[in-house]
Amino acid sequence: MSKVGIVSYGSYIPRYRIAIEEIAKIWNEDADELISQLQVVSKTVPGLDEDVATMAVESARNAVNRWGGNSNDIGAIYVGSESRPYAVKPTATIVAAALDAEKTLTAADLEFACKAATAGMQMCIGLVKSDMIDYGLAIGSDSSQARPRDPLEYTAGAGSAAFLIGEKNIIAELEGTYSVTTDTPDFWRREGAVYPTHGQRFTGQPAYFQHTIDASKGLMEKLGSEPSDYHHVTFHQPNTKFPLSVARMLGFSNEQVEKSLICKEIGNTYSAASILGLAHILNHSKPGERIFMTSYGSGAGSDAFSFMVTDEIEKIQSYPYSTNYYLNRKEMIDYGTYARYKGVIR
Amino acid sequence: MEPPKIWREKRERYLAVGIKCLDCENKSFPKSEFCTKCSSNNVKEYKLADTGKLLYFTQITQTAQEMIEYAPYIVGIVELDDTLKVTGQIVDCNLDEVKEGMSVRMVFRILARDGNEGLIRYGFKFAPS
Repeated sequence: MSKVGIVSYGSYIPRYRIAIEEIAKIWNEDADELISQLQVVSKTVPGLDEDVATMAVESARNAVNRWGGNSNDIGAIYVGSESRPYAVKPTATIVAAALDAEKTLTAADLEFACKAATAGMQMCIGLVKSDMIDYGLAIGSDSSQARPRDPLEYTAGAGSAAFLIGEKNIIAELEGTYSVTTDTPDFWRREGAVYPTHGQRFTGQPAYFQHTIDASKGLMEKLGSEPSDYHHVTFHQPNTKFPLSVARMLGFSNEQVEKSLICKEIGNTYSAASILGLAHILNHSKPGERIFMTSYGSGAGSDAFSFMVTDEIEKIQSYPYSTNYYLNRKEMIDYGTYARYKGVIR
Repeated sequence: MEPPKIWREKRERYLAVGIKCLDCENKSFPKSEFCTKCSSNNVKEYKLADTGKLLYFTQITQTAQEMIEYAPYIVGIVELDDTLKVTGQIVDCNLDEVKEGMSVRMVFRILARDGNEGLIRYGFKFAPS
């Protein structure tokens, strides 16, 4: 059986940030308590000329440039998002054109709250393994909405990550993937609604934790692996507290999860959250290390993955526009500017 | 925004594709059916370099209606690494951070939106590299 895995990866995080303190000041809430609860100090804000499509293109270009191959060899592009610029007009078509990858390929936009991108990775893995395509690009990109004063407003950020899946020059070989899916109404946005609604604390135990744990345990059981077999682990990070808690529940240490935790500075990047963590881990990984990832998407479901880093990783780690580059590039803005950039005021 | 115009200009806007004259080697942007130097129609597509340096810049405060939501914004002339000079918006920096001679690279951004229901025009701008 031929090997399949990650061939390249790319990230994108907008330059603008708003501090939790700045949002709390507007609503007269206790910033220290919020920061302590969420373990998030700021979140990303897209610029006036940025949306899910522009961020998806930037992360996809970083993945393709890091790889150095021919974009015409990409046979599938999937963009996972819950905040696409068009309700009807696929973002994936814009990405394909911006990569000069038109037109012999299949493409689609996917929606599964915060896990649509990992569903896209699984689709690419299936297409590559069945020899239907040579390379597939799975992207998670979100510029998530949050009603002003809603608890979501403190963490709903923006960002994107892209993963090129293939069989040649694999930097992280797939060892296995496992999914769980149930009908769990923890978070939703009806057609035409501007902002999503959530089930408050219901989003925790029966939703995030149950699905993440079930998928993670399911994959480790399937592979016969244990948490101690992995060097790094990344989970969906709606805040910093949830992934730390679920890591502990599963038997992973803080050290195993800490490399993925970029949510503290950039907030919840929804479809991009778990995979931006993976991209950040890959920047710091060594050949022979094993990486575990479990995404979570409300509604609800989780996709778990196990990867083995190969010698090829060292050839592409020096690409300059990494997650670190974007994390270090920032400008803090006030609430008025944030409201303008998010289109709350025009 | 007319769909055919957006579709027709896609490769120029998204990928910065201009032309190269096969007779006199002249490169130019935007695309044209004829060489801007020798008028030959023996031209082919040419992908511009995506990095360069900022030669001149100014801040635009009075804008066309479709750009009003972005004002004020910075526009500059960039000399690309292949020596072509192109005009574009300078983003991801404030006016006090922009310097003549600074290194820039192309980024993919929204150029304009046709209200809340119309098309979105995407294309390249420049950001500090």
